[in-house]
Amino acid sequence: MASAASRGRAARRSQPAVTQHEGFLRHHRFFWLKAALVLCALAWLGYALIPAADGPYGGTWFGYVLGTTGAGLIGWLTLLGIRKRTMTTGRWSLKAWTSAHVWLGLSLIVIATLHTGMRMGLNLATFTWALMLIVIVTGIYGVIAYATLPAAFSRSAERHTRAEMVDGLRTIDRQLQEAAQPLDAVSAQAVAAAMAQDAFAGGLLRRLSGSDPHCATLAAITMLREGSNQDASLKRVIGLLAKRRAVLDRVRQALRQRALFEVWLRVHVPVTIALLAALTAHIISVFYYW
Amino acid sequence: MAFKLRQIVFSAGGRRIARDRPLSGITLRLGRGADSDIQIADLAVEPQHAVIELASANRVTVRATGTLGFACDGKTVREAAFDPATPTEFRFGSTSLTIARDTDGEVLIEVLAADTSGEAPDLVSEKARFSLGRVMLSTRTIAWGLFAAVLAVFLALPVLSHMQVQGALPKVADMKAPGHVTGDKAWNPGELSLAHHALSNRCEACHVKPFQSVRNETCIACHKDVHDHAAADKLAMARGVPGTGEHLLQSVGHVFGREPAGACTDCHVEHQGARPMDPPRQKFCADCHAGLSGRVAGSKLGNAADFGTEHPEFRAWIVTNAETDARAPVSLADHPREDTGLTFSHKIHLDKAGGVAKMALTLGRAGYGKPLECASCHHRSPDGVSFQPVTMERDCEACHSLVYAKSGGTELRLLHGNVPQMLVDLSRAGPVPAITSGRARPGDFSSGGVYGARFTPAGGTVASRALAPDGICGECHTPEWRNGQVHMRPVRQVTRYMPNGWFDHTAHRGTPCADCHAASRSNSASDVLLPNTASCRSCHLGEDATKPKVPSTCVLCHSYHPSDVAPASARRKVEADHGEEPRRGI
Repeated sequence: MASAASRGRAARRSQPAVTQHEGFLRHHRFFWLKAALVLCALAWLGYALIPAADGPYGGTWFGYVLGTTGAGLIGWLTLLGIRKRTMTTGRWSLKAWTSAHVWLGLSLIVIATLHTGMRMGLNLATFTWALMLIVIVTGIYGVIAYATLPAAFSRSAERHTRAEMVDGLRTIDRQLQEAAQPLDAVSAQAVAAAMAQDAFAGGLLRRLSGSDPHCATLAAITMLREGSNQDASLKRVIGLLAKRRAVLDRVRQALRQRALFEVWLRVHVPVTIALLAALTAHIISVFYYW
Repeated sequence: MAFKLRQIVFSAGGRRIARDRPLSGITLRLGRGADSDIQIADLAVEPQHAVIELASANRVTVRATGTLGFACDGKTVREAAFDPATPTEFRFGSTSLTIARDTDGEVLIEVLAADTSGEAPDLVSEKARFSLGRVMLSTRTIAWGLFAAVLAVFLALPVLSHMQVQGALPKVADMKAPGHVTGDKAWNPGELSLAHHALSNRCEACHVKPFQSVRNETCIACHKDVHDHAAADKLAMARGVPGTGEHLLQSVGHVFGREPAGACTDCHVEHQGARPMDPPRQKFCADCHAGLSGRVAGSKLGNAADFGTEHPEFRAWIVTNAETDARAPVSLADHPREDTGLTFSHKIHLDKAGGVAKMALTLGRAGYGKPLECASCHHRSPDGVSFQPVTMERDCEACHSLVYAKSGGTELRLLHGNVPQMLVDLSRAGPVPAITSGRARPGDFSSGGVYGARFTPAGGTVASRALAPDGICGECHTPEWRNGQVHMRPVRQVTRYMPNGWFDHTAHRGTPCADCHAASRSNSASDVLLPNTASCRSCHLGEDATKPKVPSTCVLCHSYHPSDVAPASARRKVEADHGEEPRRGI
């Protein structure tokens, strides 16, 4: 038996190393998912089985255990921000670390919620819990974004790069500047307004929407098309404006994709830091007014 | 006298180049159109925007010819007239014109086009504009901002405020005093109970010192009359060994200066909601009373952990000697016999087909009109909790008449409870014939089977006849002769059998008496007609009982702090069951 087993091991060793990509979620055959599930199950069992004389809440001994575990996890999860700047491989590779970050982070939904004993109120404790949920929900979004958006990026990237879009816009504007010279004052103003409008203007919501309800280029096209005297120069300007609009649409879609990809981290990270502050205040306040 | 045009351009190196050109005519057209004298290739300029005219040697007019105006020395106008001796600046779109008299006397129009040469577009920075960083504050700025704001509002503010007011706090007992610490409301993990609700804005009233748990002395500052449950050494002996988790909690608490087990806050847990404070759970009692006999040597208390499963049989404080009124606790399991000093059969009085019932039916005037029931003789105490002692005059005499003779139309009646007076009265009356009322009564009481109290049975003295076992007094009482003097054995009625427990008849008024008190089967006044634990358990089980049983925690009947009044939780349960507003007092 023993020799058969060692032969088996030898055979496996002799196989050429197969490098196959394995995402951080599936890392090590979902090791961290299993670990998180075990953690949740233990928390749940303790919550259900350990009697709490005054009902479950954070102040029972098991409540303190859950709270300490949760706070420890939050502290460790935050360290990913530092850890990610150093890439290593092996057991504690960045991928393993990220996998643990995601799965253990999700387990906090169970651990921290059980710590509350389902007692919510307008207070610091619930505020801290809510901040944690925001961090987790944005984290879930981030995982989904990382899994789906890069493919969409490359699809759009096949058509136009960012530099091409910016350059295209500038080229069209240069042509428009010349082509619009014969236009009357009102038409010329509309064209000037279209060119003056910054394609990158607008805040976060505008970017996430991928459109501009006050698009001056579209307004100019509509206005010029309504004109009675459709001479050659006007048609040329309209043609250029239509091209400008097509480029603008691509720019806006690119902005939207970029925003969707970046926005979660811009909430996830600051709210995490706010969570650390709230958690510190929560822990200190509990013992300050013991 | 004419115009001269000077166009200013800049070389790639930034050098200024002026190109002069004379213009014919005293009227110049300015615009974007190809036929203009001064052409400005700017879409913000109209094809025929304005006309510049040299009206006289000292006067130049500029007039808009289209729909748009222009800026003259920074002010938007449609027309301007000026002396060219003073240079005047105009702006059409992004192009500026300065009109002034030149040294040679001609009017010079200097045209400075907006700098459109620009630098080569920076594609790198253009690409960066796609990032959200351009429209949002940097992640780091937001993060530190939030971090500082949260710490300031939720930690620094209350801590600094608390440090400021420390030492200058009003007395805890002043419930109406305003709060002195700002920002600590967010620290409140849950609403205070109704009793303490007035302190909701004064956390510092109970949380006196930072990082120190609420002290017993703070509670006692208001709750001055609370008695200890037992001597501290006994309490310590009785306390069970805590579980691992509880032990851990106690150890950590000890390190941080928390008071040892037995503190007020161990049982009375606050911040559980704005309702009457939850009664302490049975666990707090069971911590000591479950297995108490094993820890406290010589304790007479049985082990108790849960009323439904582990509770000793009730021990009633019964009268063991009516003469001396000696009382002792006796377990109901031991079938106690009480010395009430009375001869009485509940069975006879409650028998619905017996003579008593017949008499009660006939005695309409006394208000019976039906067979006797418990309430015919037993009257509730004013608070409804227990019953008043039975009295002869009110509760017995309607049947057990003490009228011994008639004088004229007046009935002569013995004074109950006064033996010497009774003897005098009966002696004076001489032989009294049995008073007959015509009411038939079963039994051999007097001749002809007619009702009559036996005041004077045959033979003996008057007194001995009345006091004989079948005489008017001896029917219920036990007379004794001492040194030739008659002495009536005193009657003892107990109104509270279990002084360490609480029972409220009001809470049970929907239950027939016979469900708990087996009076209809009792032939002797010595029977202790109290229900035992098994009887109570038909409705009451421990605190985890489910319907239709009544979950009953220890404090429903027992009070940890000894007092004569009902346990607070029992009081509240009665109030709640009867739709009364819970009392909030201490």
